[in-house]
Amino acid sequence: MSTKTNIIQPNRQLIRPCTVVYGVLVVLTLVTWSIGRAGLGGLWVSLLVLGFALFKAQLVGDWFMGLRDIRGIWRWVVVIWLAVPGSLITLAFAFSHGG
Amino acid sequence: MSGGSMRGILMDTVVRHEQARPGYPPGDLAIWIFILAELLVFAIFFAAYAFARSGQAELFNHYQATLNRDTALFNTLALLTSSYFVVRGVVAAREGNNALCARWLWAAVAMGGLFLVIKASEYADHFAAGVSLSSNTFYMFYLSLTFFHFMHVILGMVILAAVAVKAGRDGYSPDDHTGVETGASYWHMVDMVWLILFPLVYVMR
Repeated sequence: MSTKTNIIQPNRQLIRPCTVVYGVLVVLTLVTWSIGRAGLGGLWVSLLVLGFALFKAQLVGDWFMGLRDIRGIWRWVVVIWLAVPGSLITLAFAFSHGG
Repeated sequence: MSGGSMRGILMDTVVRHEQARPGYPPGDLAIWIFILAELLVFAIFFAAYAFARSGQAELFNHYQATLNRDTALFNTLALLTSSYFVVRGVVAAREGNNALCARWLWAAVAMGGLFLVIKASEYADHFAAGVSLSSNTFYMFYLSLTFFHFMHVILGMVILAAVAVKAGRDGYSPDDHTGVETGASYWHMVDMVWLILFPLVYVMR
């Protein structure tokens, strides 16, 4: 009985945080949509929305893809991917807002 | 079989699962090479959109306002929910519950189908209004970026359906469920790309 618990326990420990992460993703999506619906714009609002998006994508990589426990280069694949377009988009929006 | 040896086998299974994780991501390594290539292409696409917009911000802002943010919200929620269902499917496969795994994966495929239906109706509205790739730079990027992603959703659904069929035939075990993790990794990549695409194209101005 206790050995069965040993196997199932890690999966239960995965489901609970993933459910919380799903809730966080939904809330941030609703906030992003609300900002768009309100017609809010400008550099800082855009960067805030971009920050939400990058954070959400990192959550998906860490918890849904399961990269948070991986060692070595694969741990950083999503982080690096998000950093590159994230930086370029920030730069482009700064240009367009005369920054 | 004695309780002690059974316990030993089960503990060995747990240990092998733990040891299989550290150096490599879940799923087949080949899918990760494919995922990296896909992510690179989307990164270039996103950067191209952002820099094209920086030279024509007023045009982009004007035509962005014609997009339906409500359908984009439903599409985002559909993909997020499908990704969560896939996580549950992977957990079920790790527990050796193939029937449950198949049900979660079919539910994820259904959410992917919902995404396609919503997006197709959005395209139909645009085309009915005379929008095309050559209408202007914004629509060129909007249509090509979202359609490129649309095709990835279709491919992801095909992969998930194939995995679900195999799970339905009891084709995975706690020791051998790499196929489930491979399909899941691809699907999460499709979801992740949309999480950047949605605010970039529909909200940021």
